[in-house]
Amino acid sequence: MKALLTKLTIPICSIAIAALAAGCASTSGVKNPSGVPVTHMNADEQGFVAGTGIESQDLVMVADKMARSILSIPQIANAPTPPTILLDPVDNQTRFPINRDIFLTRIRAQLNSKARGKVVFLARNQMEALEKERNRKREGSVTASSDPNVQEFLGADYLLSGTLQGMSTRAKAGTSDYVLYDFHLTDVRTSAIVWEDSAEMKKQGLEDAAYR
Amino acid sequence: MKALWQPTLLAVFLTLAGCATTTKHQVALTGDIMVDAPNAIANGPPRDRVLWEYRLAAAAMRQGKYDIAKQNLDEALLTLGGIYGKDADAKQARSYFHAEAKKTFIGEPYERSMAYIYRGIIYWMDGEPDNARACFKSAEFEDSDSEQHQYAGDWVMPEYLDGLVTTKMGGDGSDAFKRAQADARGVKLPPYNVKANAIFFIEFGPGPTKFATGQYKEELRFTTVPSPVASAELKVDAFQIPIAPTDDVAFQATTRGGRVMDHILGNKAVFKSTTDTVGNVALVGGLATAVASNNRTAQEVGLGVALAGLVSKVVSAATVPAADTRSWENLPRYLSFASVPLPPGQHVATVQFLDGAGRVVPNLTKTITVNITTTDRDKVVFVSDTSITPQTL
Repeated sequence: MKALLTKLTIPICSIAIAALAAGCASTSGVKNPSGVPVTHMNADEQGFVAGTGIESQDLVMVADKMARSILSIPQIANAPTPPTILLDPVDNQTRFPINRDIFLTRIRAQLNSKARGKVVFLARNQMEALEKERNRKREGSVTASSDPNVQEFLGADYLLSGTLQGMSTRAKAGTSDYVLYDFHLTDVRTSAIVWEDSAEMKKQGLEDAAYR
Repeated sequence: MKALWQPTLLAVFLTLAGCATTTKHQVALTGDIMVDAPNAIANGPPRDRVLWEYRLAAAAMRQGKYDIAKQNLDEALLTLGGIYGKDADAKQARSYFHAEAKKTFIGEPYERSMAYIYRGIIYWMDGEPDNARACFKSAEFEDSDSEQHQYAGDWVMPEYLDGLVTTKMGGDGSDAFKRAQADARGVKLPPYNVKANAIFFIEFGPGPTKFATGQYKEELRFTTVPSPVASAELKVDAFQIPIAPTDDVAFQATTRGGRVMDHILGNKAVFKSTTDTVGNVALVGGLATAVASNNRTAQEVGLGVALAGLVSKVVSAATVPAADTRSWENLPRYLSFASVPLPPGQHVATVQFLDGAGRVVPNLTKTITVNITTTDRDKVVFVSDTSITPQTL
């Protein structure tokens, strides 16, 4: 009898282990069933979450290229006094909604940090707050280090504008998105475009057949 | 012999413990979308999250809760934009033994297009017409992979609005206008008026929903309840504008054509049917052989064949070819649009919904007070036949 029990225990335990494995199989085929911990990525590298749209690595690449390119033009590099630049919101003509200011913010920050003093950006988006502060100074409700009645708000020498244009294709083979990033600097006095540069990006992808 | 219970119990316990790894997401529904959707998004199956976000966004738009709509559409579109490459749930949905509904819901192209259209409307409301245009372009793009090319990218309103935004921003929107007019099927679209600063989006009628046909419910179909509303009329100041449908969401749902997934589901159905037939034949044949024969070897072979038939039947029973019928069912049937120039000040806009005979449908008239504070920026008004009004914008 004991021999029989010994004989049967092994197969039954094997069945139990197999059953356990079968039970655990509910996550088989699931990639990263326990999730993925937060991963620190550089803004200029493609992460494991990616689409065919405008992403951080595109922003960094384009903004860096534009900032370097602007600094090399004679109107900026050889200017006796730092020219003043006004940022114009980017005209997004692609199929991807974006934060319109993010490219120009990145370019401005890059220029301000790498070429300190060579250009001056105007904070027109803060005009309301600036005017309020100037009025307080004029009224004498706050101190002023100079005569507040003198107009000191600067006018722009150049206007920095950008346009994002796209071409998209969808076919059985997948989705393809091409985006052209074009930026230009316009002399506000003469309307002459004194600098223009562009960058381009093309991305393709195909979703799982279950979504097609 | 009594000692045999211990390993047997262990086996049962381990099996149950193994099964316990499958998380159940049960959500009790109250019937109030504004309660059910947030609950389902937070506690329901992750694969249905986008569906509930879509539903909640549409319901919130009709209640004038655009912040809620925006948040949920952004979440949904983030998922929609990142579906490229390998996807474990989608892989399961393609397998024989899982239903298509196992995949993360992102909707059929008409549903995805509607998500972009709604998001575009909100962008425009927020003073970002270029991002609105981006959404309208994406709405067209989602519809660009129809089986028959004539129905690819044939939404009228997104194309028209793409051109209108371009024109308003100083560009040339004439190409988009021509494409929209070509798709308009009998409706003459109004020429662009860049001075029209009050933009009215109007939707009405119950939209399409999904159901499945076929022996194993493997064929995805769409159905639409006849709309009691056939058109509308907008009155604001001295303007009295007839509103004809420019887009029919049901038309968009039914003209997409066959999906790749339909082919996969068809294969699943064939596999299920074949394994079932093989199982029947083997089971009956094997048992008959075992019963009829006096030969021990023939009996054993017969029982073996019957056992194989049984396995085949089990495999057949486990095969799930059913199509995914999860629907964004609070979509409208018809979309339309009007724009008028309004000076700064307060204006009362009334939208009446009309039946097929042109009679006003009772209890559906909507009143919206529109405050124009500047002519530099468009005022965007969204009105549905299920909107809760009066609203002040």
